[in-house]
Amino acid sequence: MKIALSVWKDCISTVFDAADQLLVVDKDIEGTFKRTSVRINSADGSARALQLKEMGIGVLICGAISRPQEAAISASGITVYPFVRGPIQEILDAYLDGRLHLETFALPGCYGQGRDAGRGRRRAGTCRRGSS
Amino acid sequence: MKAGQTRSLSSFDRGGEYNIILDSIADGVFTVDRDWRITSFNRAAEKITGVSRDQAVGQLCKDVLKADICEKNCCLRATMKTGAPIVNKKVCIIDAQGRRLPISISTALLRDRKGALLGAVETFRDISVEEDLRKTINAKYSFADIISKNHRMLRLFDILPDIAESASTVLIEGESGTGKELIARAIHHLSPRKRQPFVAVNCGALPDTLLESELFGYKAGAFTDAKKDKPGRFLLAENGTLFFDEIGDITPAMQVKLLRVVQEKSYEPLGAAQSVEHNVRLIAATNKNLEDLVRQGRFREDLYYRINVFKITLPPLRDRLEDIPLLAEHFIARFNTLQQKEITGISSEAMAALITYTYPGNIRELANMIERAFILCKNGLIEKKHLPESLFTQGAPGVDPASLKGATSSYLLTALRQNNWNRLKTARQLGMHKSTLYRKIKSLGISLPK
Repeated sequence: MKIALSVWKDCISTVFDAADQLLVVDKDIEGTFKRTSVRINSADGSARALQLKEMGIGVLICGAISRPQEAAISASGITVYPFVRGPIQEILDAYLDGRLHLETFALPGCYGQGRDAGRGRRRAGTCRRGSS
Repeated sequence: MKAGQTRSLSSFDRGGEYNIILDSIADGVFTVDRDWRITSFNRAAEKITGVSRDQAVGQLCKDVLKADICEKNCCLRATMKTGAPIVNKKVCIIDAQGRRLPISISTALLRDRKGALLGAVETFRDISVEEDLRKTINAKYSFADIISKNHRMLRLFDILPDIAESASTVLIEGESGTGKELIARAIHHLSPRKRQPFVAVNCGALPDTLLESELFGYKAGAFTDAKKDKPGRFLLAENGTLFFDEIGDITPAMQVKLLRVVQEKSYEPLGAAQSVEHNVRLIAATNKNLEDLVRQGRFREDLYYRINVFKITLPPLRDRLEDIPLLAEHFIARFNTLQQKEITGISSEAMAALITYTYPGNIRELANMIERAFILCKNGLIEKKHLPESLFTQGAPGVDPASLKGATSSYLLTALRQNNWNRLKTARQLGMHKSTLYRKIKSLGISLPK
């Protein structure tokens, strides 16, 4: 499954709606991770969701994201891990190890009081982790 | 404040005192050190961002504010770099609940008593209510990319969906630059044919033979260079809309051919043995008065009546002066986006000059003026010096075009003249109550003929 991280320099981009770079990570059959940088072509929310879908992305890890943008991406069958912050490698390792729900990876104020509190994939005490 | 309260305040430590003051401010305020870490965060900032003071202090400001400019166009960074404050810049943030909020931010440097740089301060306020209002007003004055608050244009906005819904041929008359193609496109996009092609052809730009092959296409072998079939605009617009621009410029011979196509709903590509039926909606436009051309015998009466099923006459910009500020604002927003600039508007003197001009090139000319001003104006307001000289060599006699008062006088005089000095009709045209018009005439000292 392809994982997309919205990036700015070596970190997760703070605002996905304004981000224009993705790092796409894909595990090949030999188990090695292949990384590709991809430019987000449009500022329009639906077009961004379509681009992710067309690239075969299964998971999006990003910073702050607006509700309509997240809804459009989730509606495309992509699992969104929103309001994440930190260096790319740390975030990727945390995702692969199942530690992405920890407070240290959440943007300030976005841990444990998300709008999806108590439903879906949300883990106890986390904010909107992995809505899809 | 009572004396007792002053005494009790003085007993607070300095930080506590500052916090009390900051918390009493309705705008969000935070300060950062030289590493962009938040050092103070007031109550309004908590409310707007959804992030508490405890969560915010010590964090990078971009992670707390979550604004669309944080990474590439950070205002605090610009202020720290240049020392210049930024005032009321509109940006969007995403709060902790994922709501997108428009805010207005201002930044300034923060120095200690000796003048050493401590960091910077950012103040911001939620402008979502103002933005919603602005959008409502803009929506009221715009229709499918056409912007106007002129009463004739607003009437047109009302009937445009009905015109679009019908399959009738439409004739759009208006001076060059009044937006005829924009109206034609709006009709197409509102019509049941909106998913089909919209094809435009400028009849005035092509000689007869070329226009014929452009419109109807040709078969291979129709003439020496015709190696293979070429589809014409009619075929390209099949099931959609074909827009004939400058139809008043076609020759009598072409008028005959076009009449047949409109009447019989079929055409013959050059070199074809058989006619091809078409299902194309025709919209024609001209900057000439076709009725006059018919009277002069230069345009076929039968073709005129065929295309003039519904006529739209677009007023020139000099008859819709009330639209100039709206259009200017629209073009500024457009060029700001295209050119990545931050022009904030037009000064009142420059606007007065724009309003008194008569615009022979109509909206296209206004757009060009704004585009030209963008070359000369680096930031802030567009001033008179950024506008072309030609604007100041022409103006209504007896008024000073350099003032808004003068521009208003000129505008009212133009409208009164157009309505043969009838004040009731003028008030109706301008969309104001007649007593408002009387009051303006009196206050501006406009003398009316008896």
